[in-house]
Amino acid sequence: METSELIERLAAGVVPVRRLISPWRRALLWLAMSVPYVAAVVWLHAEAPHITTVFGDMRFVVELTAALATAGAAAVAAFYSVVPGLDRRVLYLPLVPLAIWLVLIGDGCVRDWLQLGVKGLELRTDWHCLPPAIVIGILPAIGMVVMLRRGAPVQPRASVAIGALAVAALGNSGLSLFHVGDASIMVLVWHFGSVAVLSVLAGWMGRHILNWRGARVIRARTLG
Amino acid sequence: MVGTNDTEQRLASLMRFAQDGNAPAYVELLQEVAPLLRRAVRHQRRFLQPQDVEDLVQDVLLSLHAVRATYDPARPFLPWLMAITRNRMVDGVRRYARLAANEVAVEEVPETFSPDGPNIYGEREALRRAVSALPPGQRQAIEMLKLRELSLKEAAAASGMTIAALKVAVHRGMKALRKALRAEA
Repeated sequence: METSELIERLAAGVVPVRRLISPWRRALLWLAMSVPYVAAVVWLHAEAPHITTVFGDMRFVVELTAALATAGAAAVAAFYSVVPGLDRRVLYLPLVPLAIWLVLIGDGCVRDWLQLGVKGLELRTDWHCLPPAIVIGILPAIGMVVMLRRGAPVQPRASVAIGALAVAALGNSGLSLFHVGDASIMVLVWHFGSVAVLSVLAGWMGRHILNWRGARVIRARTLG
Repeated sequence: MVGTNDTEQRLASLMRFAQDGNAPAYVELLQEVAPLLRRAVRHQRRFLQPQDVEDLVQDVLLSLHAVRATYDPARPFLPWLMAITRNRMVDGVRRYARLAANEVAVEEVPETFSPDGPNIYGEREALRRAVSALPPGQRQAIEMLKLRELSLKEAAAASGMTIAALKVAVHRGMKALRKALRAEA
């Protein structure tokens, strides 16, 4: 088909579209939907801590803030990445709170080691955490994928990896509330480790989740 | 510089109208950007054949159409367009390299068939005739799934048929094609 004919056909089928709102607003929208959900799951969980237990531990509050900031910054960066032509430096935004979060956990590990010796770095498995981890992440993950797919897949791997970082960081913020006072090594390996693994795996699958399927369908419809 | 700014503003304004569903503005926009895209593709992918360049330009136009909601009229239009173009060029070259890897350049094509027997051109013509003789549903399924290599999901979205119906249609179509081609041979 000639390009001029394709243009005529595309224009013949053009309909008004609702413009995407700014990435910042979309991130706020995603947080407005996800944070109450995560809070509700925490609230309904049998091991939910009392509010005074949570806010009585300053170190925990700072770590929680860093995790939440990572989730927020990653959401902004993910929604930026699906708008063509925007400044790509924003994609590095989540690295700042992520680094702070890692430093805080690392510092906790050192303190535990100094205080308790090798016992402070003992690792155990908490498989009963897996079901709430899945439940807590499912709605934010679906919301993130749906919202990312409304954008353009110009950097699918980065978009999906950063979107997964937002979901995992938010989910971990909620999960950490079940384990106030946990050893830092546990937080480092299971919480931070799972965030890293999930982000890398999601990024690896990025092209399957975000792709130009819409354009291929339009081509088939236009040519058909 | 003034000319570039004028072009930028005109294109941004046409895109804004196009987002509101204005077809004449959309035609004008696409007609203006097509030569820009052609130039950009030719400049950055000098090794491509003219037909491949045109395929890529069409890919970019289709992609622009698919994600036109992501354009923010408060921002410049050309960086938005060029970001899509760069992305589609990378995909296009990947596809080109994949095709090129499956082609073998030979000085002389070895003759492995009898000069009196059916040849590849005759077979292609027979296949074309057999495909056009299929019932519309089967023909559409064969064209989408076998000739254009769309996935079942993509073909279902494009045709409005269910995946199950497509599977049945393509199976029946292939059976009919085999029968028709055997009868011709």
